[in-house]
Amino acid sequence: MSDNENKVPEFMQKAVLWEKGNSIPDFTEGKEFYHHWGRTINAGDNSLYTTLTQMYNPLYFNEPYAKNHGHEKIVVNPFLVFNTILGMSVEDLSEGGNGPFVGINDCKFHKPVYEGDTLTAQSTVIDNRKSESKAGAAIVTWKTEGYNQHGDLVVEFVRSNLLFK
Amino acid sequence: MNDQYLTGKSNYFEDFEVGTVIKHFRGKTVTENEAVTICHMVMNTAQGHFNDHMVAQAYKAGLSNVSESLVYGGVTISIVIGLAYQDTGEQVIQEVGMTNLRLLGPVLHGNTLYAYTEVLEKQDTQEDAGLITFRHYGVDEKNNVVFEGDRTALVRKHPAYEY
Repeated sequence: MSDNENKVPEFMQKAVLWEKGNSIPDFTEGKEFYHHWGRTINAGDNSLYTTLTQMYNPLYFNEPYAKNHGHEKIVVNPFLVFNTILGMSVEDLSEGGNGPFVGINDCKFHKPVYEGDTLTAQSTVIDNRKSESKAGAAIVTWKTEGYNQHGDLVVEFVRSNLLFK
Repeated sequence: MNDQYLTGKSNYFEDFEVGTVIKHFRGKTVTENEAVTICHMVMNTAQGHFNDHMVAQAYKAGLSNVSESLVYGGVTISIVIGLAYQDTGEQVIQEVGMTNLRLLGPVLHGNTLYAYTEVLEKQDTQEDAGLITFRHYGVDEKNNVVFEGDRTALVRKHPAYEY
């Protein structure tokens, strides 16, 4: 390994890093972010997430049961919805600042999501203040919202992170 | 098969008492298998959760408290709620919300999580169900509390039929 450190290939020497993410000054109060990609939640996603996390409620994996309980099909695990919206927001919001999660509050699940629905995420900066304990760092707070393909709000929450840059 | 056989008998709205703290039966060692899988599934791009080399370099440079990838907090939250879910989520009609979610310490691949739940509040809201607010705690194998958070759900009441 140390051998290769002394003879870095030419392409590596001339490579330019295409950076990702935003930093503290980008988060002015009220600024909106429309996050990348969107995500159609398929049956495999829902089954895999639900079973890996052991969230044993048949609404999330038993179709006749879901139908008997007022749904047209299997319900997507709400915590997968929450995590997917959070995941899609990471590059814009917290990846660049490279700091730890502070907390999430006021998460509300507004509507069930069904397999085949497509989620998109957007966020608004609601606070950006200097950290009292860490010089140069800030605690930034965003409101993040997740929508389905019909434009209905399905989940929202308020997240704060410590950002180092 | 009648749906009554598919779920438990003692985790309905009436079975929870405010103030009770439940120790959930199973723990789980968090492995790369589910931690990194779920991180990628939900398209969390932060490489501190899946690039051990980068984290090790940051650690050597004094920029990180840990020397290997951290489990993504969304996975910790999911696993702890999952460990509590057969008891507190099996009869849920609808998840309502969560608040005060805090990650209180690092979780690394190989750590084992246990879940505890305190019943904070109950509200009898409709004929067949009511709202319950739970406080979930996630504890590692050294009794460090690594997660806590409140969750409110609409929980079904005992059905009219007898077992």
